[in-house]
Amino acid sequence: MANQYEFTPEDLQEIEDIKSKFPEVMPATLPTLWVAQRRFGHVEPDVQELVANTLGLPFSHVHGVATFYTQYYKEKKGKYVLDVCTTTSCQLCGGYDMLHYLEKKLGIKKGETTDDGLFSIQSVECLGACGYAPMMQITNDIYVNNLTEEKLDEVIKSLKAGKMPEFESVGMPQHTERS
Amino acid sequence: MPELFIDGIRYEYEGSPKLLQFILDNGKEVPFFCYHPSMSAPANCRQCYVKVGMPVKDRETGEYELDENGERVIRWFPKMQTSCSLDITDGMVVHTQETSEEVARAQKDTMELILINHPLDCPICDQAGECPLQIQTYKYGPEGSRFEVKKVHKPKRVELGPRVTLDAERCINCTRCVRFTEEISETFQLTIASRGDKNYPITAPGKPFDDPYSVNTVDICPVGALTSTDFRFKARVWEMNQTPSIDITGGKGTNVDLWTRDNLVLRITPRYNAEVNDHWMPDAGREAYQRFNEKRISRPSIKIDGDNQVKTSWNNAIETFAETLEGNKPSDVVVIGSPHASVEENYSVMKFFSTWGVNNFHFAPHIEKGFGDDFLLTDDQAPNTNGVKALGIDESSDLNAAIKSAKVVVILSDELIDRGAIDASSLKGKYTVLLATNESQTSAAADLVIPVTCIAEHAASYVNVDGRVQRSFPAKETKYSNRKLNLEMSEGRLDRHGTYFDNWVTEENKIDCIPAWEVVSKLASRMGLDIAFDNSREIFEEVSSSVPLFKGINYERMDEENGVQLTGNSKEEVTA
Ligand code: SF4
Ligand code: FES
Repeated sequence: MANQYEFTPEDLQEIEDIKSKFPEVMPATLPTLWVAQRRFGHVEPDVQELVANTLGLPFSHVHGVATFYTQYYKEKKGKYVLDVCTTTSCQLCGGYDMLHYLEKKLGIKKGETTDDGLFSIQSVECLGACGYAPMMQITNDIYVNNLTEEKLDEVIKSLKAGKMPEFESVGMPQHTERS
Repeated sequence: MPELFIDGIRYEYEGSPKLLQFILDNGKEVPFFCYHPSMSAPANCRQCYVKVGMPVKDRETGEYELDENGERVIRWFPKMQTSCSLDITDGMVVHTQETSEEVARAQKDTMELILINHPLDCPICDQAGECPLQIQTYKYGPEGSRFEVKKVHKPKRVELGPRVTLDAERCINCTRCVRFTEEISETFQLTIASRGDKNYPITAPGKPFDDPYSVNTVDICPVGALTSTDFRFKARVWEMNQTPSIDITGGKGTNVDLWTRDNLVLRITPRYNAEVNDHWMPDAGREAYQRFNEKRISRPSIKIDGDNQVKTSWNNAIETFAETLEGNKPSDVVVIGSPHASVEENYSVMKFFSTWGVNNFHFAPHIEKGFGDDFLLTDDQAPNTNGVKALGIDESSDLNAAIKSAKVVVILSDELIDRGAIDASSLKGKYTVLLATNESQTSAAADLVIPVTCIAEHAASYVNVDGRVQRSFPAKETKYSNRKLNLEMSEGRLDRHGTYFDNWVTEENKIDCIPAWEVVSKLASRMGLDIAFDNSREIFEEVSSSVPLFKGINYERMDEENGVQLTGNSKEEVTA
């Protein structure tokens, strides 16, 4: 069966540039998977095979790499993937409440995607932002900190309107003191 | 010479060996899982921990610093080292679990971690009895586990490919199987998917593990995660006898072990031979065990009316054979040797017939172009093509022509009609005598079929494509051989220690056949020729003294040297 996915000429050029940075092809696997995920929104098996063929690497190798990292989506996801942190600090500060609020609000469980293909919810391990717990990350990108139910309402509303929340700079306590 | 001290004993070393391999080579032991001598050492199981230190040298003088007792001052590495990946350096001091409590404890704790999610289902696991994890847990592992939480579940009974089944829960992620496909068979079919406590080896999505060498991963898997789909649940390893032999499905002469129980060969595994096949064998060779058990010809048979064969007695078979020969002139007889039969079989048959006056000997190599690779598979489909050539039997490209004018055709162990080397019609009107192991179209066409032993039932030698002569041992009994009396036969635990009732033996599994040289001896004595062969060892000695290429070679040398290159020849000379 022919692969339903194809890189654009620009993608291929970018991949060539990536390859030229390394003495061997193998290290290009990770950045090329990113190119693919950006293009198709996920790296399901067919995309992994496309990456393997494009780089001339074994399909099995690309599969191993893709499944190692949770940030690569191995199946189709919503346009916005809401990664709600539920590790210790966030958990203590209400991470699960935020997760369950989102689940109820969007009518899906974690790991699922809404019918309109807009949102997926995942509960994830520590994202290294314990100081602003509870928090979540949107599609491997913007962090949304110090979550509350109201803040979530706002975020969902703006995402539905196609607008990513702004990057919030949160100062460290020592910085706040000094200013 | 550079030196090192292991457990207080001084050793000298050459080159730059890895510590674990050096320890093993010197007859000592450190437990390990992921290391394999033929592959790279990723040091991921962490089981081979040892404590290592280096003597302190005075920077100025370059002399070793000594303590108040005059002993070298040792600076210990801050952490335990994985011996599999550590290069030995001059003066190194090593403590294994034998002399260090700390090391023993570290190994025990590593084992406890490895076993957290292992299902411990040894009672139903095929690997039990030959399982490094089981053995080393008994020897070095903890007595219990502190992990009383639920185990992680992973896929079970995964058909990785046509011949290999995976139980991911048993896997300890040593990556031996993955490295095998990357470094040895180079098909890159396996990878480790996912990570942490959820990872396990798998193929790329939707792709089968159909590597022609796939079952080797079953052999090197240090646990029961990879099992042979064919052999699964057939027998426990301790019930079987293990007998060294040679792969007969190709020309490479891959060294193998035949595993038998109740005189059935149940599986074939590779046997280490650095010169021939290292630790590996092709999957194709493993299937040969069926030939040893099934569709065997047992008791001679003879055509009496039309095309129907009936079983007959040995006396009658030999008598018929003799009468047929006596009713014809030697010049009417053509004898066809076989690359599928051993040196001894070909030699004894040839000797008998040439003594009687026949000089029309032929054989047809069994070549399938394109079948071979640059590893262990060869175009040559027979184990002894070079052996037959070395004996001086004529190689015929057209056997049909060679037998055209003959009245009697004698064929040694070769399914000539089945493989298209002769047409059934070419045998019409001639009397055909076949010495054979298995039923085939060829045996159906013969007028007299005499069952002979196969490689699993006799000791005999075979010359591989590279001109190396290697031999087999009898692994299963025939109606006329006895494990207890034949000292070349291996005895398993049950044979040696079991009572009569432990050693259930099914008579039907013993084939009513004799070695080809015994057939020849019987025939010779009936026909009054002075030829008698007692055993294959003697025949080989005769070959060695009369055929120049075999000069100076005997069974002892083959056993000691794991096979011997034919004298004074390179590959070219033998194949020429
Ligand atoms: S299946 Fe066996 S050989 Fe492969 S990684 Fe697991 S334990 Fe190692
Ligand atoms: S054998 Fe050394 S780490 Fe596995």
